Amino acid sequence: MKSAAVCKGGLTVAWHVKHPLHMRNVVRELRLTRGLSQAALGDVLGVSRQTVNSIETGRYLPSLPLAIALARFFDKAVEEVFDVDA
Amino acid sequence: MSTRNKATSVTTRWAVPGAAVVIGFAYLVAGVLGDDLSFGIFGLVLMTALGVAFMVASRWSETAAGLRNRTDERINHIDQSASLVAGMTVLLAVLAMFVVEIAQGQDGSPYYQLGAVGGVTYLVAFVWLRFRR
Repeated sequence: MKSAAVCKGGLTVAWHVKHPLHMRNVVRELRLTRGLSQAALGDVLGVSRQTVNSIETGRYLPSLPLAIALARFFDKAVEEVFDVDA
Repeated sequence: MSTRNKATSVTTRWAVPGAAVVIGFAYLVAGVLGDDLSFGIFGLVLMTALGVAFMVASRWSETAAGLRNRTDERINHIDQSASLVAGMTVLLAVLAMFVVEIAQGQDGSPYYQLGAVGGVTYLVAFVWLRFRR
């Protein structure tokens, strides 16, 4: 069974990409570095304190726009905030 | 870049309590037409009370507030999942009642009509969303 295809440019494209159910993130650490409460960060991002808490504990995976907004707020790349390999 | 799903309009903020009151008035009209005024009045008072309770709750509950202003993507996802569970439960109940009606020698009405509405709605929604996403 083919599991991957190699494109012209040499890129390898997986046929079956497994989406992780859990991703480690450093949102809590970054937030505490800035001295922000969960509610304050939620206000900045336009979400509730509960949502920030759920993201920090890994119970909720944010949408791509929210993940990018989080990364931009902390001046980081998305991969620096969310780690799929952890 | 905004992460808010959409700006909260006045319409959005009043959608749930407004719908509760509208349903209450539908109960009232049904009660009047069916010569059961007490049912109509009770229905209107109950639904209005639920709408007001929801508004009051949204002042101290982040979850109720999220359901009201619709800017929190997590609350919106939870609402979608809860709606899915509720819809599937109703459909399963309709199918179960249809089978029971047939087993009792009835024609399955009104459950087969309700089941058909659910099935057709799913197909139409699926095709519609398939072309939009």
